[in-house]
Amino acid sequence: MKYILMMNTMKAGAGVPAWPKKDLQAHIAFMMALNSDLREGGEFVFAEGLSFPDQAKLVRAGKDGTPITDGVFPEAKEFLAGFWIVEVKSPERAYQIAARISAAPGPGGGPLNMPIEVRPVPAGPPPEML
Amino acid sequence: MKYILMMTGTKVGVDSYRAWSKKDIETHFAFLKDLNKDLSEAGELVANEPLAAPELAKVVRAAKDGTPTTDGVFPEAKEFLLGYWIVDVDGPERAYQIAARLSGGPGPGGTRLSMPIEVRQIMSRKTDEMA
Repeated sequence: MKYILMMNTMKAGAGVPAWPKKDLQAHIAFMMALNSDLREGGEFVFAEGLSFPDQAKLVRAGKDGTPITDGVFPEAKEFLAGFWIVEVKSPERAYQIAARISAAPGPGGGPLNMPIEVRPVPAGPPPEML
Repeated sequence: MKYILMMTGTKVGVDSYRAWSKKDIETHFAFLKDLNKDLSEAGELVANEPLAAPELAKVVRAAKDGTPTTDGVFPEAKEFLLGYWIVDVDGPERAYQIAARLSGGPGPGGTRLSMPIEVRQIMSRKTDEMA
């Protein structure tokens, strides 16, 4: 069963976090150790970290199909910071991995306890729609 | 340069999509299939996944002892990721062009949906540099 684990923790306007370099490095080292454990467990499918919300654009098709871009977001808008796709035996295992991500170290090294959204990834669109 | 193209929507939006006619849904999927085929042939498609419906989503937090606590209640206004594309392109303009094509996918009766697509660069390399 494939699951996506989403870190929706950034707010509009956010840039590089104002954490001390040491805390940022501890956070990244934590993520790298997690990814290496998932790879060794055969559970890793895909993971990406995204750029900060100040780089985001909203794109819509104009009447002639050309892109219209907008970069202004409401302050409350949540942004995806990064995501993992894992292949696991059960939803409980996906929640376990999400809990580990949730407890990633923040400033001062304490756990962030951030919310991680977990959702199944279907194998593809329903066959009757293809 | 790698970019992520995100299609998001609220529960209300997902419910209205479920009320589309079978023909409209088929036209929409045929459109997406064509898009993916074009991106694959051009060597621009890195990954694409549709996600399960929002009602299957859980929010997980680590409790004090690190065990998962799950919650499945979301505010009505919450935007959910419905699906994403990761593309490897020469510049942001090309990513916006692909997003515009996606945005203009056919809706009920074949009309252009013009849904908003969020486009953001993937920063995997910058993450490596921080390590």
